Amino acid sequence: MIRHRLLSILLLLMLLFGWEWVVRATNLSALVVPPPSDVASALWNGLISGYLWPHIWITGATTLLGFLLGCFIGFASGVVLAECEPLRKIVWPYILAMQVVPKLALAPIFIIWFGFGMKPTVVITALICFFPLLENTMTGLQEVSAEKRQLFRMLGANRWQTLIRLKIPSGLPVIMAGVRVAIVLALVGAVVGEFITGRDGLGASIIAAQGMMDSTLIFALLIIITSIGLLFYQLTLIFERWLLRRWSKGKIV
Amino acid sequence: MSINRDFFTIDQVGYSFSGGDKILSGIDWHIPSGSFHCLVGRSGCGKTTLLKLAAGLLLPSEGQIHIEAAPVAGPSQKIGFVFQNPALLDWLSVMDNVLLPISLHRKVNETDRQSAHELLHLVGIADLADRFPAQLSGGQQSRTALARALITSPPALLMDEPFAALDAITREELQDDLLDLVASRDTTVLFVTHDIAEAVYLGDRVAMMDKGRISLNIEIDIQRPRSAACRYGKQFSDICQTIRSAMSRQVVK
Ligand SMILES: Nc1ncnc2c1ncn2[C@@H]1O[C@H](COP(=O)(O)OP(=O)(O)OP(=O)(O)O)[C@@H](O)[C@H]1O
Ligand SMILES: [Mg+2]
Repeated sequence: MIRHRLLSILLLLMLLFGWEWVVRATNLSALVVPPPSDVASALWNGLISGYLWPHIWITGATTLLGFLLGCFIGFASGVVLAECEPLRKIVWPYILAMQVVPKLALAPIFIIWFGFGMKPTVVITALICFFPLLENTMTGLQEVSAEKRQLFRMLGANRWQTLIRLKIPSGLPVIMAGVRVAIVLALVGAVVGEFITGRDGLGASIIAAQGMMDSTLIFALLIIITSIGLLFYQLTLIFERWLLRRWSKGKIV
Repeated sequence: MSINRDFFTIDQVGYSFSGGDKILSGIDWHIPSGSFHCLVGRSGCGKTTLLKLAAGLLLPSEGQIHIEAAPVAGPSQKIGFVFQNPALLDWLSVMDNVLLPISLHRKVNETDRQSAHELLHLVGIADLADRFPAQLSGGQQSRTALARALITSPPALLMDEPFAALDAITREELQDDLLDLVASRDTTVLFVTHDIAEAVYLGDRVAMMDKGRISLNIEIDIQRPRSAACRYGKQFSDICQTIRSAMSRQVVK
């Protein structure tokens, strides 16, 4: 385990040194491929001068807000549609249609509706997170075995109890898998959304850096975005482990 | 209440799954309060279906079923059901699984925990109370399911091959425990099994089902309380032989 960690760090170092060496040896323009040392100092300066922090906060907040909103609405709609079959049959074609629409293509219309800034980006992010949650919640709730349903009927459980005490708990692992997909999509949605709608945020900063032909800054921003993504993903994973701690008891991993 | 009143009254019952072939037809069966009836039959002949009809989980396509003279319209709280699969909730400990029939309706108190513990002791898994279902063997799971059915002390028990996953010795111990318990609570039992000796040992009557019909329904007049010794008596093996040969005659047809 530790050996593998060491080797993967070693791999990274080798790649960085190789990259640095190639850039210096071939005298490649920093505009095309900046050397890692420049990227590192740009990153350092951006963080120290405080220039990057507001953008980090904005993108982080947009991602989280959109993620929470999308997950919540997706989960709630999933529960309603799983419980109410007639409704599901009526709205399903439209949900399917909405799902295949590229959400980012809706950005221009959202800008008209919500103006520039965080709002349209949050809406896009939420929309992107909505579908994995909707789908996984519906699948999760409908997967309950017939015998467990019959058990609850035998025990005189009402519909609400069956939902809260049986269907949601049995669907929870599937639902959490949807959450994990959503957090990754959320960051992509927020950053790309900012390309289009934002003046602030890491996505907008990338566009601004592109305008100034500052590839070094773009690379620095990519590193920050990747770190935020990894951080959010790990936090989701920890939350999932905690939430499902009783489900994994005795399961052979 | 006189001992002769019927708990289950099954009159001319037929059943077919929606649009399918007839699974059961012309079932007539009266089960007096406090008596122990067994049902044997080859796999797929309709035993589980009949049990679910008696429980009110399915409604008959033909004929009527009454529980204590009231027509059955849905699952009855008077019945404890032991499913063919243990149907335990993965996210609850053994203790919480056993307490589920109570916790669905009111707050669990110390007395409930006490009686759950006694039941777990009775089925021989008291030391596993804090484990989770995935940490149990198949037989331990079915014993948990048995304890769960007994926790509310229902006036009637419907049991679908509850001991199928157990070794011969444990099974015989549990048979004796079940007989004691049922006798002390004056519980009515309908017990499905494919083990003829088990049916004869447990039952006041043993019925045999063949392709959805009751083809034999005989009284077992071996004296109670029954003990291990009577399993080897001539009377016992004669009865088993009768049922066995009736059952193997079905194959020839
Ligand atoms: N939901 C269903 N839809 C259609 N047919 C079904 C359904 N459930 C069971 N059957 C059929 O009904 C018949 C009786 O099934 P049942 O489960 O009552 O058998 P069983 O006697 O309990 O068998 P086993 O001893 O194997 O448990 C079988 O032939 C089965 O294929
Ligand atoms: Mg069966």
